[in-house]
Amino acid sequence: MFAVVCLVLMAGYPVAFSLAGTALAFALGGMAFGVFDAGFLGATPNRLYGLMTNETLIAVPLFIFMGCMLQQSKIAENLLESMAELFKGLRGGLGVSVALVGMLLAASTGIVGATVVTMGLISLPTMLKRGYSPSLATGTICATGTLGQIIPPSIALVLLGDVMSSAYQQAQRMQGIFSPDTVSVGDLFVGALIPGLILVLLYIIYVVAVAFIKPSAAPAHGSLEGDEQRREVRLWHDLTPPLILIVAVLGSILAGIATPTEAAGVGALGATILAGLRRQLGIRVLRDVCQQTTRVTCMVFLILIGAAIFSLVFRGYGGDDLIHGLFEGMPGGVVGAMIVVMVVIFLLGFILDFIEITFVVVPIVAPVLLKMGLDPVWLGIMIALNLQTSFLTPPFGFSLFYLRGVAPPEIRTSQIYRGVIPFIIIQLFMLVLLSFWPELATGLPDYLYG
Amino acid sequence: GCSQEQESASTETDANNQANSAEQAAAPAEEKQTYKWKMVTTWPKNFPGLGTGPERLADNVREMTDGQIDITVYGAGDLVPALEVFSAVSQGTAEMGHGAGYYWKGKIPAAQFFSTVPFGLTAQEYNGWIFHGGGLELYREAYEPFGVIPWPGGNTGVQMGGWFNKEINSVEDLKGLKMRIPGIGGDVLEKAGGTPVNMPGGELFTALQTGTIDATEWVGPYNDLAFGLHQIADYYYYPGWHEPGTALEMIVNADAYNKLPKHLQAILDVAIREMNADMLAEFTARNNEALRELVEEKNVELRRFPDDVINRLREMSDETVKQLAEQDEMAGKAYESYKSFRDKVVPYTEISEQTYVEIREPEGEAAPAQ
Amino acid sequence: MDQHSPLVRLTGILDRFTENTGRTLAWLNIAMVLLTFTVVVMRYVFDQASIFMQETVIYTHATVFLLASAYTLKHNEHVRVDILYQRMSGKGKALVDLLGTLFLLLPVVIFILVTSWDYVMRSWRIFETSPETSGIPAVFLLKTLIPVMCVLMIIQGVAEVLRNVAVLGGALPKEPAALPSEEKL
Ligand code: NA
Ligand code: NA
Repeated sequence: MFAVVCLVLMAGYPVAFSLAGTALAFALGGMAFGVFDAGFLGATPNRLYGLMTNETLIAVPLFIFMGCMLQQSKIAENLLESMAELFKGLRGGLGVSVALVGMLLAASTGIVGATVVTMGLISLPTMLKRGYSPSLATGTICATGTLGQIIPPSIALVLLGDVMSSAYQQAQRMQGIFSPDTVSVGDLFVGALIPGLILVLLYIIYVVAVAFIKPSAAPAHGSLEGDEQRREVRLWHDLTPPLILIVAVLGSILAGIATPTEAAGVGALGATILAGLRRQLGIRVLRDVCQQTTRVTCMVFLILIGAAIFSLVFRGYGGDDLIHGLFEGMPGGVVGAMIVVMVVIFLLGFILDFIEITFVVVPIVAPVLLKMGLDPVWLGIMIALNLQTSFLTPPFGFSLFYLRGVAPPEIRTSQIYRGVIPFIIIQLFMLVLLSFWPELATGLPDYLYG
Repeated sequence: GCSQEQESASTETDANNQANSAEQAAAPAEEKQTYKWKMVTTWPKNFPGLGTGPERLADNVREMTDGQIDITVYGAGDLVPALEVFSAVSQGTAEMGHGAGYYWKGKIPAAQFFSTVPFGLTAQEYNGWIFHGGGLELYREAYEPFGVIPWPGGNTGVQMGGWFNKEINSVEDLKGLKMRIPGIGGDVLEKAGGTPVNMPGGELFTALQTGTIDATEWVGPYNDLAFGLHQIADYYYYPGWHEPGTALEMIVNADAYNKLPKHLQAILDVAIREMNADMLAEFTARNNEALRELVEEKNVELRRFPDDVINRLREMSDETVKQLAEQDEMAGKAYESYKSFRDKVVPYTEISEQTYVEIREPEGEAAPAQ
Repeated sequence: MDQHSPLVRLTGILDRFTENTGRTLAWLNIAMVLLTFTVVVMRYVFDQASIFMQETVIYTHATVFLLASAYTLKHNEHVRVDILYQRMSGKGKALVDLLGTLFLLLPVVIFILVTSWDYVMRSWRIFETSPETSGIPAVFLLKTLIPVMCVLMIIQGVAEVLRNVAVLGGALPKEPAALPSEEKL
């Protein structure tokens, strides 16, 4: 069934319907031959209703709204310009500021597309004008754009947290352990913080290193415009409010004060008020934000519906038992299983994006891995990092598509591909780092929550 | 594949088969039909007591029917979400379901009377009402329009009052409290100014940890320990005034049940009644061990609700129950039957169980930790 | 077949219907943000948790993501694996979309419509209320969103079939490749 689904997906019809349609065909075929129990399909409306009333997932449209608002009201753009101002005169300074702003945008929106497109539109022309090599410029933008997946608050982590939490309970019960620690979205948020920041640091180190080894690829730059005093004022004006917003949203979740949904609601309204204060909140902006939010939300939830139908049919055929058996018989034990899962997810990342992998693959493999004794936060972050990398992998990384969409025509696609390769290596390095020091992910949650 | 298993079955089972099925032996070589059923539950798979009970029932039934009824048990969310269990059985998606009646109060308000009533019957009294006091007939009548046949499917006994992160010194302290508490107890909490939430067990830990709720009750020490609620709450209050003997519920799709031959229906019926009794026995055996672990090893702070809180809650419960009985015809009927049984049984309980429990230990020695 | 054929005109009518539905629904996002914020303020400032209002957020969210799915389909924003698709000619894309709509999308939404019918009817028969003490007593309406989504999807599905038939017949150009633009996330 997996193989057929992959084939159907390759044809290019929307993923949600490809998943559900193929599963449906398999179910009907099975029913015709009397090997599939129709009762499994009968559970579809119950599953849909479960999706409709899942309170964790309500954070998704709210975070999307917040991201769209920051983007459409140009708050994100101003943030970048002001940040570049801070690093003028430093070799690779513009690249560093792109990485930092990417991180902030990532933190606040969590939408890869939004970050890459925004950064592509506002920083790519500037970088090229300052003599940055196209590869370095596009690579930096693509990579920092994907930080939204890993730096909380992140929609990917919200979705992954939902899946991991039930996988973890399942795993413990399979072992007969009944005094469980539970893993929540908040745990993943905290766990992702340090690995996310290390990634930013590695990106910056790379950019600065290139600037010193090959100055022509990343020259230093002066001021972008005149009048020192006004710039000073603008700097604080542009930097402070979004920073406060981000810290407030993130902080209230991490401190356990608010639920992710509540924090997302406050963040969405906060972004709107910020846009209003900047006099950027016309009826048109509001309308565009609403419509964009609607389309992205529908896209996400329709995939969830497709994945729900797929998983019902998969279960109806006893597929989950099969996978469990497969992993339990795997040589090399937990390490072998983990490596196989990571490679599989990495490869699937070439054709699927994080939502499909989170909802189709993770529920199947995570309980088995967790049962073998892996830490759920660590596993969650490993998967999140892996999925983040898949946004970057040529030729199908979504980040690359988005940047291609907004890059000037003289930039060749091959330059973009070449540009992201060092960043993919950094990602893989980070995965290895995290494998040897799981504390990077688990340390902070342990410290905060005991 | 059941004919092969039959051949290899032990002589003991063979003997039983022969004794039990004289008529089948007379009917020439008709192949026994097998019934492959799905049971959806509101609990995580294999959850202590609540989830292992259904699992054990499935094993028992399989053995007693020599594989003719083969039930696969699904945990909450495996096939349908926890609170969708009733719908799934009603529409025939699953043939059986295990949960608790008060989870479907949005569909059948009367179902709450067949789960538990604040300050109502204990487990022992409840089983008297259901099986020998007219309760089961009403229970079935309430579920009949949905094509569902209910049984009491286990009982937790008196539950605990719940996990709180602040002290409850007066009813005022319940104001503004967002607490997971199902059934009529939830309505009472609302009367006291709190906000009740009806949430399946599997979501409790995360909800309390992330602040979606401020407090929660679950079942008793055995089950509460299993969810690790002690890790995220300061006080463990008793007694469970709101759930003095919660009956869990086994439901079977009526069409599926009616398709079974008489002898299989009888086996299913007896197996469910056995499960009903056995689960209470399991809770009785495990709760005290779990409480000791919670208090001595996990350092949980055990608190008793102050008397005036209990007194106020009792008054509010009476009002709430009466209101519920007025709102819905079937609930009214259930209430009448429940109340008249309660009025009859309580005086005798007072001079039997209650007096005995009071005299069993020398005064003062059996007092629970304060 | 030409640009003024009834087929193309019908496509236009269906498209407009979907577009207007989606644009109207989009405004509900503002309601959702404000409601969530109100819930937070009531909870943390006034110590009052309102299940009713929280369920309103759930209802709003479900309404938007279910009923605007057809609108998202029209805007071609349901994510695809476009490695091969991107390189196809206009007619090649039209063929994929035609076959996909006929053999994947329409069967799926018709299947959901059929299986949810009984589910929703059972809820209407008893005017199912919330399982929460102070919830919204209209679960039957919430559940009704499922079949309504299917009907809207079928309407837009028919529009997609007609449009792609028209493209294959040469009456319409296939809209430019769905490269993400500034508009697109
Ligand atoms: Na990808
Ligand atoms: Na309880």
